[in-house]
Amino acid sequence: MLIPWRSAWAVAGALAVAASVLAATVDESDLDTRTREVAKTLRCTVCQTETVWESGSPFAGQVRDAIRERLQQGQTPDEIRAYFLSRYGDYILMQPPTRGVNWIVWVGPFVLLFVGGLILYRSLARWVTPSLPPPAEPLDDASRQRIERELRS
Amino acid sequence: MIVELGHFSVIIALVLSVLGVFAPLVALRTKNADWLRVSRQALTLIFVLLAAGIASLEYAYLTRDFSVAYVASTSNSKLPLFYTIAALWGGHEGSLLLWVFILSAFSTVAVWLHWRTQPAIMPYLIAVESAVMFGFLMLIVFLSSPFERVFPPPLDGKDLNPLLQDPAMTMHPPMLYMGYVGFSIPFAFAMAALFSGRLGEEWIKVTQRWTIFAWLCLTIGIMMGGYWAYYELGWGGYWGWDPVENASFMPWLVGTAFLHSVMVQEKRKMFKVWNLFLVIVTFSLSLIGTFLVRSGVLTSVHTFATDPERGLYILIFLGAVLGTAFGTLIVRAPKLKSRIELDSVVSRESVFLFNNLFFLVAAATVFLGTLYPLMIETWKGAKVTVGPPYYNAVFMPIALGLLFLMGVGPYIAWRKASVDNLKRNFLTPLIVALVVTLAAFALGFRSPFSLAGAFVVGFAGSTILADIGKVSAFFARRDRVDYVRGFYRAFRNNQRRYAGTVTHVGVLVTVVGIIASTVYQTEKVVSVRVGDEFVLGDYRVKLAGIHDVRGPNWTAKEGRFELYRGEDLLTELKPQKRVYEATQSPTTESAIYAINMGHVFLTMPEVSPEGSATARGVINPLILWVWGGGGIMGLGILLNMFRPRRRDE
Amino acid sequence: MTRAWQIILVGALLGLFALFYQGLWGNPRYIPTILIGTPAPVFAAPQVGSSDSLSLDQFKGKVVLLNFWASWCLECKLEHNNLLALNERFGRDPNFVMLGVNYQDKEPDALEYLRTYGSNFQHVRDVKGAIAFDYGVYGVPETFLIDQQGVIRCKTIGPIVGAVYDNYVQRVLPALLSGSPEQVGC
Repeated sequence: MLIPWRSAWAVAGALAVAASVLAATVDESDLDTRTREVAKTLRCTVCQTETVWESGSPFAGQVRDAIRERLQQGQTPDEIRAYFLSRYGDYILMQPPTRGVNWIVWVGPFVLLFVGGLILYRSLARWVTPSLPPPAEPLDDASRQRIERELRS
Repeated sequence: MIVELGHFSVIIALVLSVLGVFAPLVALRTKNADWLRVSRQALTLIFVLLAAGIASLEYAYLTRDFSVAYVASTSNSKLPLFYTIAALWGGHEGSLLLWVFILSAFSTVAVWLHWRTQPAIMPYLIAVESAVMFGFLMLIVFLSSPFERVFPPPLDGKDLNPLLQDPAMTMHPPMLYMGYVGFSIPFAFAMAALFSGRLGEEWIKVTQRWTIFAWLCLTIGIMMGGYWAYYELGWGGYWGWDPVENASFMPWLVGTAFLHSVMVQEKRKMFKVWNLFLVIVTFSLSLIGTFLVRSGVLTSVHTFATDPERGLYILIFLGAVLGTAFGTLIVRAPKLKSRIELDSVVSRESVFLFNNLFFLVAAATVFLGTLYPLMIETWKGAKVTVGPPYYNAVFMPIALGLLFLMGVGPYIAWRKASVDNLKRNFLTPLIVALVVTLAAFALGFRSPFSLAGAFVVGFAGSTILADIGKVSAFFARRDRVDYVRGFYRAFRNNQRRYAGTVTHVGVLVTVVGIIASTVYQTEKVVSVRVGDEFVLGDYRVKLAGIHDVRGPNWTAKEGRFELYRGEDLLTELKPQKRVYEATQSPTTESAIYAINMGHVFLTMPEVSPEGSATARGVINPLILWVWGGGGIMGLGILLNMFRPRRRDE
Repeated sequence: MTRAWQIILVGALLGLFALFYQGLWGNPRYIPTILIGTPAPVFAAPQVGSSDSLSLDQFKGKVVLLNFWASWCLECKLEHNNLLALNERFGRDPNFVMLGVNYQDKEPDALEYLRTYGSNFQHVRDVKGAIAFDYGVYGVPETFLIDQQGVIRCKTIGPIVGAVYDNYVQRVLPALLSGSPEQVGC
């Protein structure tokens, strides 16, 4: 989207001078902060794995505006998320909801870690050959120090 | 004409790659070494021909020959020289060509380096490398050629994607490809070991060095990608768990697992099959990663359309490579079984194995997360997103487990750790870790992950410090020198071990950077008019003006923001909102002020002609540690690669 | 390597390739909408080029073809003539109505677009994207078919061209207009 910048900016220059007289310290409003918190949890569906907060796409901009409007109307973040969820499905959330088959991704890695750890531990126990005489512990630095000290003295 | 010559050389390279596959096999069968020499020459020639192919395409870029379709789609007459050269790998066809070119360069170097020392492995190495090149060259010549002409030629090119017009992005793909491709050499060695049935110790040494080199390239590539995302995408995050990022992270994880477990094979001659498996998985993941990104299987809605024919070819090729590799492993593995004998479950050997388990589960988590949307779509016809919150919840605990093991592994005894050994090495670090955790709590850490992070960083960090302190003291006393010299002697005495320590320190530094910049991040988005100011953490930011600026192929609105601390003007920050002329696509250029290893990060997502703008300011404390740690990791690798040989090596 | 590991490895590889193979044929544009079979959200919005409001309620009891478009959208131009042809063909049926929703656009641009490419049905402006959110729209063009009971029966992402258009003409719209939405098949 290009605006005929040159002419617009000639006007803007004049406006800027006028504006600087009214310069002020601005701050984020509470509404801005809350909008951001909600926007960070929704996906920009037309982008590649970006939240509507991060994305610069027009779609994301409109979702942000919609969030702000709904917050102003007194909806809670959960209600807003529920609305978008009801329109777009699970895709709009940044992570798979914890229900149904999605549990596979949520607990799968930990199950894998646990089962793998169990198998590994049992294999290790099997591999240990206690019949061998216990080998001498390799010299660590502290004992080496002690030996050298004793040799020197 | 020159482009046609380049095209022709690539076709000849394809033909030669067939020779490169068969000549070594004939050599093996007939025991005639001439065939092997022929295949070596074929391999060298492929490298020369592909270099010619690349050069001819670069020629087309430099002469702005837009009758070459690929050149027209990735460059433009106004594109600066630097990006024009890098535009070669700015699209699908060219990056494939670069991929196979690097592959040919690496395999040529590998053959020349190891020709004398590894004669038994040569035929397999050449055949495997040629086969992979054959697969890529087929794809390039028949399905995605960068040399295709269009008639009539367009007046001007479409331009390189503006997001790629960035210094980090020009080097990021070649580094990544060098990493991916670097793993092909260990892969070829592993295949050679499997085919020949010779699982001697010799292949492991060579493999290890190549893996370390590939790992270095991949690490640099990933780090650069992160830095690019951080300042170019404009939202200040360096890692988005995007499929493209995950594709590079998976081989990194499994490659790291291999680098650790190979040490067990070296010291204790165990787990040979396991190491073969890891090498094969690492390279397979490099291939899968390249293809997932290239075939469009994982691209999302409203992005470029996929081409099932090309995807199908890629899939068949992938199937051939993975099928051969794992098939051979499955058939051969039972014969290669090495005797495993351990003295105790509590030993460095088993910590290495648990390290492997954690790395593999970490890689599996990324793999599952990346493919889950595809699985669910195939299975249920629904779409889901697996984004950062998922990985934060599932991947992070596993990563913290790995960090904990990093504190244990190097300091637990080989064979059998006595209770005394454990107490001596780990009791103090555990106490230190608890103190660090309490301190972190006092400093405002609240989430369980950041507290757990503080704990493991405290633990792993203090084990490293304790070890360094101990050896420095020992050498200082032995040689009657000061501690610094003592440390230097200890370092030289076992450079390999302490190079590893340096890399671990790098990991810790990166983790500290990640935790600090997450926990203490301050973010603010305000709408400002010229003259307005806003408070950002300890700083004040004032919009002094908005100006027009013009680059070689873009125009921009540039905000001039003054950054104050107290009454001191620290710097002027100039974020831009650019519009690239050819594509009319906008980008947000961030402005960064580095202070105390952290950043004040400013972008200007929106500008209105009335002299106001939306400003987004972020303070990321210690964020430079994220990349500083990457640099330290790289330093550790270099210290490992360039070390004096020890007699027993 | 024990037998069990061999089987696991082979099984995992086969599963992976089956998945990739399926993934190849998946249409990247396909987005299952969860709104099929649910009542169409009612909206009232100003028309393009006038301040008069138009409500979906006005078309109660009719089959409604709801098309989201924008003047900057290239694929909308591809389907535009087909949309006009659809209205030519089915517009005489008193039970059929077409409605365009102009999305993420500027009104002058939209008017210019309609003047250039012609129009034979009404269009409303979705000023804040609120209608698009209600319908779970991702981008333009997207087309919805609402049956006489006011239930969303079909959703097409991307332009109505080629086989999609033929299917609309030959099967989908006749089935909807004959009041048998079960056999719509879209």
